[in-house]
Amino acid sequence: MVFTPKQSQGASAPSSFIETTGISLKPSYYHDILDRRPELGFFEIHAENYLSLGGPARYYLQKIREHYAFTIHGVGLSIGADVPLDPSHLQRIARLVDEVQPEVFSEHLAWSTHDNVFLNDLLPVAYNQATLNRVCEHIDQLQSTLKRQVLIENPSTYFEFHRSDRSEIDFIAEMAHRTGCGLLLDINNVEVSCFNHRSNPFDYINRFPSRAVGQIHLAGHSLDENTTIPLKIDSHDTPVSHEVWDLYQHALTTMGDRPTLIERDGHLPTLSVLLAEARQADHIRTNIRQESRHE
Amino acid sequence: MNKAFRDALFHQDMAFYEEIKGHSDEEKAIRFNVYRNNVYVSLIDALADIFPVSQTLVGDEFFRAMAREYLQENLPKTPIIGEYGATFADFIRAFEPSKSVPFLGDLADLEHKLLTLTHAQEYPTLEHEQISAAFNNTSDPTRLLLGLSPNTSVMSSCYAIGSLYLAHKQPRRQNVAQIQPYNSEYLLLSKRSIYGEVYIISEAEAVFIQRLMQNKTLEQAIPDDAMFDTGSSLAKLIQWKLITHVSEADA
Repeated sequence: MVFTPKQSQGASAPSSFIETTGISLKPSYYHDILDRRPELGFFEIHAENYLSLGGPARYYLQKIREHYAFTIHGVGLSIGADVPLDPSHLQRIARLVDEVQPEVFSEHLAWSTHDNVFLNDLLPVAYNQATLNRVCEHIDQLQSTLKRQVLIENPSTYFEFHRSDRSEIDFIAEMAHRTGCGLLLDINNVEVSCFNHRSNPFDYINRFPSRAVGQIHLAGHSLDENTTIPLKIDSHDTPVSHEVWDLYQHALTTMGDRPTLIERDGHLPTLSVLLAEARQADHIRTNIRQESRHE
Repeated sequence: MNKAFRDALFHQDMAFYEEIKGHSDEEKAIRFNVYRNNVYVSLIDALADIFPVSQTLVGDEFFRAMAREYLQENLPKTPIIGEYGATFADFIRAFEPSKSVPFLGDLADLEHKLLTLTHAQEYPTLEHEQISAAFNNTSDPTRLLLGLSPNTSVMSSCYAIGSLYLAHKQPRRQNVAQIQPYNSEYLLLSKRSIYGEVYIISEAEAVFIQRLMQNKTLEQAIPDDAMFDTGSSLAKLIQWKLITHVSEADA
């Protein structure tokens, strides 16, 4: 089943989501946001943190949603698992999406559940036909339950499988083609994975199916400096690195402007610091849009 | 293959390394260990977030070692990590190294119950004026039934876990060092606004509240205890926003 992107309802002005960068919504920012109401494209939440029936998460989500556009990022559907999606979890996600009416719902090309246990990490899949069939089935099920197109994010990975018989890009392109899903291009994940597999991140961006990209994530990473095989870790606990800014500039130059999120999960700075990173992305985006108008 | 991956996360066997590209077993181990580390650290961090007072009480190092043991046999059942740790208190009570802190299990139980309350649906409760009106409009207040919010519960412990909890949450109001942990306590748990709350109550008040929850009339609920003050107990129920409805028992 193929879905077309959800149109923004009613208003003729472009949604702030399209042109202005957003940031991750974290509980430590709730009061500051409601007091200051900073100008911002949107907030992104992790679906699994907002499924309770009451409490502060639900309360502040409703308050902040009155003033801002939202995107929802799932971290627990386990699209890549070799078991069916958890139907009750899927229903809870569907209710949240229905209530919040986000600009975008996104999930990961990864798995996290097995045998009824949740491992709380985004674990890698082998890129072969069996995985592709399974992932596409799960995306079809997700899109038909949510009644909208979803975006699937390229993963950060720390090893490659012998069982993989095609590249990550070929896998992702085929997945998007078969399901009609959009793609979330996480540029920090590109930097992390390409560093860890000693490949060129600019080539990765050049070959990525750019027409399907509906959102970009920018985040920070850390470095495991062991002497055997230094690895970059997708930690989301530092500012966006200069390598990632360079790749972002390159990505927008080749594919044009895209909705963008500054993603931060750990060592949270003040709201102002995160907003400044969002403005840095906006600066790059404005230039890209102006250049494309002159061409 | 997910099963083999999962098994490899929790056991140090190298069979799974055959799946991984790499020049040496050492390289494969370093690569695979990123996932192992992510799973352990994220789940231990989740438990530390859910049980902050227990963690403070025993120290970070002890808490993390205990959490590591726990998670190996008790992985989360759902992707909603805020609901993790429902069996942690029972694990602590049976965990040999924590026996020197005998109140730790009950304290963890209290912390999990309060977090569950925080996540629970809120119910509207009556304001002071509405309750006064109900009392004024009846000829016999002793026959009134007071409905309490479904978020209300009573808990007891052989240890002063309510005092310990509150002292850690509000260190300026009470000095933790002055608390006698081996005094038993009765606690009322409920939800005020959007957060779970705990109040220390007397044994007689615990009996009174439990009887109200069993749908007893005010007269039937009042305990046979000379120290029990019905007026001040009712005032607490009103102040703590527990009462959802007031009705008269059938004759």
